[in-house]
Amino acid sequence: MREQAPGQTETDLNMDLAPDEELMLQVRDGAGETLGVLFDRYQTPLYNFYAKLTGDRTLSEDLVQEVFLRILKYSRSYQPGTPFRAWIYQIARNARVDHYRKTPRHISFEPEMAPPVKPRDEAQESQETELLHRALLQMPEEKREILILSRFQELKYEEIARLLGCELGTVKTRIHRAIQELRQVFRQLEGGAAAGSAGAAAPAPALPPRRVGS
Amino acid sequence: MKMSCAQIGELLPDYLQDSLRGAKREVVEAHLAECADCRDEVAVWQKLALLPVEQPSAESRLRFEALLHAYQEGRSDRGKAHFEGERWAPAKAPLGSGWSFWQWLRTPVGAVAWSAALLLLGLLAGNYYGGRTIRGGTNGNADEMAEMRNELRSTRQLVVLSMLQQQSASERLQGVSYSQREDQLDPQVTQALLHTLQHDASVDVRLAALDALSRHSGQPQVRSGVLDALQQQQSPLVQVALIDQLVEWRDREAAQNLRNFEQTPNLNPTVKQRAEWAVSKLN
Repeated sequence: MREQAPGQTETDLNMDLAPDEELMLQVRDGAGETLGVLFDRYQTPLYNFYAKLTGDRTLSEDLVQEVFLRILKYSRSYQPGTPFRAWIYQIARNARVDHYRKTPRHISFEPEMAPPVKPRDEAQESQETELLHRALLQMPEEKREILILSRFQELKYEEIARLLGCELGTVKTRIHRAIQELRQVFRQLEGGAAAGSAGAAAPAPALPPRRVGS
Repeated sequence: MKMSCAQIGELLPDYLQDSLRGAKREVVEAHLAECADCRDEVAVWQKLALLPVEQPSAESRLRFEALLHAYQEGRSDRGKAHFEGERWAPAKAPLGSGWSFWQWLRTPVGAVAWSAALLLLGLLAGNYYGGRTIRGGTNGNADEMAEMRNELRSTRQLVVLSMLQQQSASERLQGVSYSQREDQLDPQVTQALLHTLQHDASVDVRLAALDALSRHSGQPQVRSGVLDALQQQQSPLVQVALIDQLVEWRDREAAQNLRNFEQTPNLNPTVKQRAEWAVSKLN
């Protein structure tokens, strides 16, 4: 439950609790400032969607801005009854596709060139999280995207199916394949890291290589 | 009922979203109890929750506010003035709004807002009546997006230039870091960064400027600017960073300058040592 902050008026509170769709209709009908509430709701999820997908913080912030610019620009195409969440993710995906069309990845977005997105306090990041992150960034993009959408963006499989324009069954199959591949890459990296640290510790015998897959 | 991993795999996504009930759920759980591979898939999926939720920077909200402000300005102006063919016309309008507006423009937020205003007014003028669909990027929209990106670039340049003039070192630092968003530096921004490198009062800001410039060694202006800075710099920290930069660029022409630099009277011994090392590296 949200609590009413001191100084907050009843109108503000109503706005804070209003469904996304209702707010978006207000934006469409000219109440641009209402978009601020939607911005506060969605900037962090969208930023994380992009950051996990691209591994690039700066690009992610730019793309979030572009999403909201597009919402302002195309607000009149928003139809009552359209689930806002699905709509905004559609815009978000298009914004990214357009970006890559203009800026081919090999110029500036090779994963190894882009700074990995890490918590700002790196000391707190366990090695496991680091490896998981790297594994995710090594996945083919379609698989990475579907994992991010299903695991982090709180989208239901039905919503993902609509977003990607495919059948529900296909979404589930693709998610399962993506998990299989993530597991494989992650365990491989983990095996490499374990062998590496064992080597660094010198006299200890090298660990047997971990069996991966099969 | 025994099921293969492939059959379980079909049920697993629902199991992971906790939407599997009854007999199917029991089958999956029984399989997981026996199959290490499938269990590990579930474990990796659960581990994904360890990845932290990142917070966007505070600047993100400011940029959005500027965007919104510009949009609303555009809407209210639209009633009064004709837009067609007068892309930059609204830029003249604030002349009548008095001095405080210009002062506001000198603040970073003002600069961002103003630049975004120019950007948006251009966009609105071009496209407001178009009534296009959401899907950008095809044909006309591709040009439009390219144009928008160009304008965003000049927006950023304005912001950088304005922020480098600020009183507070942290704002100037922000300006330097903002300049790094571009693959190519505008000559004006390069000039401003070189000026910052030579004359900024804060060592941190000078170091940050060097870092921002380091990626643009292709510009002769940048290389000669760094050499000039070496002659003028008093802080050993910055001197060492400049020397390291010249070594990193493998700037052979710098070797002679470094030899002269070593002879500077009262040079900090560490810096002197570093310069000797650099000369040996570059020869």
